[in-house]
Amino acid sequence: MRRAVTLFSTLVLAATLLAAPGVFAPAQAQSPQQQDGLNPMGTKPTADSVNEEFLFKQADKITGRVSIPDQKSANLIQPQGREYRAFRESWLPWIGALGILGMIGALGAFFMWRGRILTDDTQESGKKILRFNAFERFAHWMTATCFIVLSLSGLNYIFGKRLLMPVIGPEAFGTLAQWAKYSHVYLAWPFMLGVVIMVAVWVKDNIPNRIDWAWIKAGGGFIGHGHPHAERFNAGQKGVFWMVAGFGAAMGVTGLMMLFPFTVLDINGMQVMQVIHALIGVAFIVGILAHIYIGTLGMKGAYDAMGSGEVDLAWARAHHDLWVEKEQAKTLSGPQLKVRHPAPAE
Amino acid sequence: MKAFAIAVAAAIALGVLAMLALTSSQKFAYQAFATSGARVSEPGTNLVGSKWNGLPVLGEATVEDHDKVKGEASHPKRS
Repeated sequence: MRRAVTLFSTLVLAATLLAAPGVFAPAQAQSPQQQDGLNPMGTKPTADSVNEEFLFKQADKITGRVSIPDQKSANLIQPQGREYRAFRESWLPWIGALGILGMIGALGAFFMWRGRILTDDTQESGKKILRFNAFERFAHWMTATCFIVLSLSGLNYIFGKRLLMPVIGPEAFGTLAQWAKYSHVYLAWPFMLGVVIMVAVWVKDNIPNRIDWAWIKAGGGFIGHGHPHAERFNAGQKGVFWMVAGFGAAMGVTGLMMLFPFTVLDINGMQVMQVIHALIGVAFIVGILAHIYIGTLGMKGAYDAMGSGEVDLAWARAHHDLWVEKEQAKTLSGPQLKVRHPAPAE
Repeated sequence: MKAFAIAVAAAIALGVLAMLALTSSQKFAYQAFATSGARVSEPGTNLVGSKWNGLPVLGEATVEDHDKVKGEASHPKRS
């Protein structure tokens, strides 16, 4: 009897083992992934799922949905931002450094070659003629002082963390950068006002004409020792005027876009504004370096025009002969010191 | 020189006016973007912490930190 029970148990166990694969087969069919991770159908299980490549075919960025008011936080991936970052962190410092150092080097080389541009003494030496009245000088210096602060604080955005922070430490740099940012944002307003005033006051004297072309062909007095004819502003000064008007307007518009972020533009637009602002800012600084050079070290007597407002008559005759004739024609008694415009600044 | 001095003074005065005008129209992010359903913590209690080093961590939070987390305004830097 005992042997019969043992035999029966053995048969039941054998039958169970034989039937087991058939019993579990349906469950295995519902989970087609094999041990090697591949689908037995020959495809990857995630092949049909949504991926970045698919989403970027629908739009240029990947966004989600958020319930807070700041809808910009729904932006998940925006490849254009990587290009902006590459420009700001890689290209911009090199462009800025090469532009500014290149201009400083070029001015130094020009000074070594040409020296200070002097004016020969004449019978008119020692007499004075009013070149810029008080209001014009006020507008110039308000714009100029703001420009210098804006330039230094602007360059701090590009070079501060690379050049200043290793020297003065992160704590001091943090404080300095914070104040530089305040000055950049707030002094932008008197700068923009100054540009508007200067354009309004001087535009009538800066319309290009044939005399400018002759001045350019003669080298503007930089080459040789002669001085070509010029009216109140020569072609070089007109170039500076239109540069300040154009760059000033561009810096103002792009700056306002950044002062009021996302008011008009989206994230792509904001980044484009920063790129334009930075590139024009560097070009602006490069151009103004040349303006500062010729107005101070490069030409004797030039600074007086914006310093005291009065220049030596011999200097004026040499550099702006047509203007001197016009001014003297206004008065019968030669050199005049009559203020042509009201002067609220003094 | 007089025109220069007046120009510098005017630039500073206009800058201060711009500061007052711009500041009066600004709100802190935790005020602007908070709703009845979402609270935005103010600077100092976010990821970087008040010392900009990732702290406070558990056990190092001060009473002031707890107040900030509750939403009571302190005096953060304007950015």
